[in-house]
Amino acid sequence: MAVGRRDGRAGQDVLRRAGEASVLILISLADGPKHGYALIQDIKELADVELGPGTLYGALDRLERLGLIEPLPAEDRRHPYRITAPGAAALRVHLDSAERVSAAGRLRLQLGGI
Amino acid sequence: MDDSRTARLIQVLLRCYPARWRRRHGDEAAELAALLIGDGTPPGSIAWSYLAGAAREWLTPRPGRRLSTVACALLAATCVLGVSAGLLASAGPARAASTSQPSPRAHCRPGSPEVIPAQGRSQVITGVAGHGRSC
Repeated sequence: MAVGRRDGRAGQDVLRRAGEASVLILISLADGPKHGYALIQDIKELADVELGPGTLYGALDRLERLGLIEPLPAEDRRHPYRITAPGAAALRVHLDSAERVSAAGRLRLQLGGI
Repeated sequence: MDDSRTARLIQVLLRCYPARWRRRHGDEAAELAALLIGDGTPPGSIAWSYLAGAAREWLTPRPGRRLSTVACALLAATCVLGVSAGLLASAGPARAASTSQPSPRAHCRPGSPEVIPAQGRSQVITGVAGHGRSC
């Protein structure tokens, strides 16, 4: 398991420094495999973020090296990717962490009366 | 920019990527660019994204690529920039001096050594932009 080997600690947020593109790709792949064009379209719809193709391939390679996604057999010229079990676990940890920070931020805004 | 020129530009930019990347993503990347342009994405932003991606591919250390290769590329780029900046900086004052003194005498030319007797022995001073006394 690539994530376990790299961070050495279960439950650590390995996506914290991975960048927004990597997180968005994992979220997009969470409901099923997609290839590059489908990922760009889905992320645009999901987060209103237009991922550049250069950024997309860089993030896909990085996620694959980390063992968080894996390529499926090519369909014509397109290479679909799917999220791996460690990828799903890493995404869950990251989203939990983001949710905690978000909740703390909302609470502080409320306490501050802003 | 028409379609054929855009396609050619994208092909050129994809050739900037390492061979390993091109074998893996090259065909799909060209097709993806065509699809995005068809959707109305500005070709310039696609080109810029591929250019930045290619630079990142070369500069990011990979397990198969030695760190020294990356360091050499960075060092070479820094040297080229440094030498260019140095040449520009040194050419400025020299050009200014030559224009302010239309026909300087030999000993007044920038860089010519000036001999000044001091404490019983000769002292040679080399000025970059002349010695400041009127000639």
